[in-house]
Amino acid sequence: MNFAPLLDAVTARALQTSWLYAELDPVSEFGRRAYSKIVPFRPGHEQAAREYAHGIVELSRRLAQDDIDRMRDALRSSPDPVGAISRAAMGEVLDDTQLLEVLRFLDGARVVDAALIPENIRALASVLERGRAGKFGFYLSDDFDDALAAARADADRAQAEYDSIRGRLAQRVARALGRDEIADAEFIVMRDSVQTLPQGIRVVREAPTYFLCEMELDDAALEALRKRDEAAQALGVAEQAVRRTISEFVRGALDDFDHLLQHLSDLDVRLAQARFARQYECVVPDIVDARCLSFSQGAFLPLKAELEAQGSAYERISIELNDAAVLTGPNMGGKTAALHTCGFIAMLAAFGLPVPAKRATCALFDDIAWLGIGAQEEPGGLLSSFAREVIRLKELLARPACAMIVLVDEFARTTTPQEAKALLVAMVRGLRRRERLVFIATHLPGIAHDAKVRHFAVRGLRDVPKAPSSADLSAALAALADSMDYAVVEVGDESDGQADALALAHLLGLDEDIVVEAKEYLWNR
Amino acid sequence: VKVGHALLELARAGGARSVFVVGTGKNVGKTVAMRSIAAAASERGLAVGMTSTGRDGEAVDVLDAVTKPRLLLRPGTVLATARNLLPMHPASEILDITDWRTAAGVVTLARVRRAGYYELAGPSTASGIRSCVKRLAALHCEQIIVDGALDRVAALAGGGDAVIVSVGATGYATMEDAVNDARSLCARLRIPVYDEQRPLLRIQGALTSTIASQLAKDGETRQIVVRDATQIPAGGKALLGLLETLDLRCERPIKVVAATVASIGGERYFEPRSFAREVATATGLPTFDVYAEAMAAA
Repeated sequence: MNFAPLLDAVTARALQTSWLYAELDPVSEFGRRAYSKIVPFRPGHEQAAREYAHGIVELSRRLAQDDIDRMRDALRSSPDPVGAISRAAMGEVLDDTQLLEVLRFLDGARVVDAALIPENIRALASVLERGRAGKFGFYLSDDFDDALAAARADADRAQAEYDSIRGRLAQRVARALGRDEIADAEFIVMRDSVQTLPQGIRVVREAPTYFLCEMELDDAALEALRKRDEAAQALGVAEQAVRRTISEFVRGALDDFDHLLQHLSDLDVRLAQARFARQYECVVPDIVDARCLSFSQGAFLPLKAELEAQGSAYERISIELNDAAVLTGPNMGGKTAALHTCGFIAMLAAFGLPVPAKRATCALFDDIAWLGIGAQEEPGGLLSSFAREVIRLKELLARPACAMIVLVDEFARTTTPQEAKALLVAMVRGLRRRERLVFIATHLPGIAHDAKVRHFAVRGLRDVPKAPSSADLSAALAALADSMDYAVVEVGDESDGQADALALAHLLGLDEDIVVEAKEYLWNR
Repeated sequence: VKVGHALLELARAGGARSVFVVGTGKNVGKTVAMRSIAAAASERGLAVGMTSTGRDGEAVDVLDAVTKPRLLLRPGTVLATARNLLPMHPASEILDITDWRTAAGVVTLARVRRAGYYELAGPSTASGIRSCVKRLAALHCEQIIVDGALDRVAALAGGGDAVIVSVGATGYATMEDAVNDARSLCARLRIPVYDEQRPLLRIQGALTSTIASQLAKDGETRQIVVRDATQIPAGGKALLGLLETLDLRCERPIKVVAATVASIGGERYFEPRSFAREVATATGLPTFDVYAEAMAAA
């Protein structure tokens, strides 16, 4: 999946694209190659995106989980045959490891769906079957060719004859030297152990105390050696002839191989997507040619997975955007997660993927942009957090996207509230003029009212959670989660709510004197 | 003495089914020792598996163009070697293609069907070579023989393998230098396992010369425990000095069972009997001369 045309590095980090990439990763090398080429659908291709998503959900419904697992196991153990096919295409002779790769690739294809294999590749598979050794191996066996069998028999005979003659010579030399055997090609004879060197050995090197020797072959042994080498050479020619025949077979089926490989690559990608859709209960989004994003019971899956791994519950949310909108709510109430969910669902829809929601309607965006918390992690030298945000905004405004969604998380929170509010209102208006769909999370009051846009809020604390007796942070967070209603609802423009910051500070164990004084200060104002 | 059989017996005496042959340097007789063990194992009807942490069995050294002893493998031998080093002729039975990478392609597991000359180049990492030994065992190899480059000694630690040290005339000006190097290498490899009942000081990571000097200066008497022999970078006389002053111990011991000597070097030779005898005395190991089919006892 190539995210680059759709979102930049800042947004990719915010939306945790690496999590999604890993979840959708195919299992075979060839599948991964196809996967890396996937790009998002462009605006104007809504129907194609919808059909693509529909195909994934259909596949996930048609196949049982066991079938998906079985096919993925087969694809996982299928080697990538591209190297072998390319060499065959160039007229080269495949070596035995490549023939094994082709054999195993076809084994995998047969397990996935035997009907996928064209007739001439089936014929090739049956030829290769003659070389199957054990369950997984390959050997250029005699079954391939009578000429090969004959050459091998000749070579065996010649080798046996040579071994016999050489063995007799070695025994004779060993006896003459008073040894059990001559084990190696070269051996030492100590000068003080012999008066004269026996016949049948040749001195390779002399030292003051010993000779380094090797066996000397007599005429009979030399003749046997010549025959052995000739037979070995003939065997080599016969082996290569069989490889050439099989390689030409592969070459003759190149088009069918390409189609089969393409089919299996795509299937590997689709099986990963179907598995994803099934595992996360995804639905086909209604992908429309309108500036909107709405979903009910949507989830930001990386966060959901993280919370569930910790044993915590995840609360799905519903949002309906068709223009600029502002989101307010308490600290730790899920404003950022709501923005993440919007971006995540928009991103999946852009790739024509089913989305984790009960229902969803979504435009095809060609640019999903994140601004605010998270963006400051970009290197910025001497720039302050605020300066980096401004520069990022400037860069987002200059982008030439035709369908862009901008997700803004507490922009300008590090400057004065008055100026931040002015900037936010102006930014909302500016993005609307540029026809961007914008969703802004902020603690600043009155933005929706002054910018004349819709106002959503996280419902927030149902009641003030009781602080745990110990200074246990996870217990405090669990108490907070139990008391928090993460639902996002549209509210009137007069309601800016409150951050519940003091209750949260108390819950998180901030020193009592500071919390009390803060409450008194707020009350007195 | 049937050296191959004697080495094989020593290697298998403690129940080890894998033996690593490591050398004090290049061209010190590792290949000759390996093939003598392989031949002995085959003669006993054992299924043999072979690999190398470097490159072994080439006709001519790729670095210094010295002619090398070749590896003639018998039918039935399973080898783990780089894909591009597997000969086209005679054809081998290809068992598996792994994802361990080497400069000559991924490591391929193959069974020799006809006797022939083979080159070995297995995984180059310690973890890779350990996995490779396991794969060979899973392929029913009853005796696994590994050319274990010295800088991959970590692969040996705690694995229960037997280790044979090869020392040769190549690369040394005098026999004394070669013998001292063998003594130092064996001392390092044979650092004993620590005693839980006695006081100890555990060193995380390498026992550097700075740490070791400070410990010696402080008169440290506790056991100094490192993970394995690879965590002691010192060699030669420095190591022997450390062993005299500190009680060096390790968590994962290495079982060195024998030494071999190759008295014929490229530029010089040592008198074979005295060379074997000196190495045996210095290392305390039974020492074999494969070329002379002789043994010197410690």
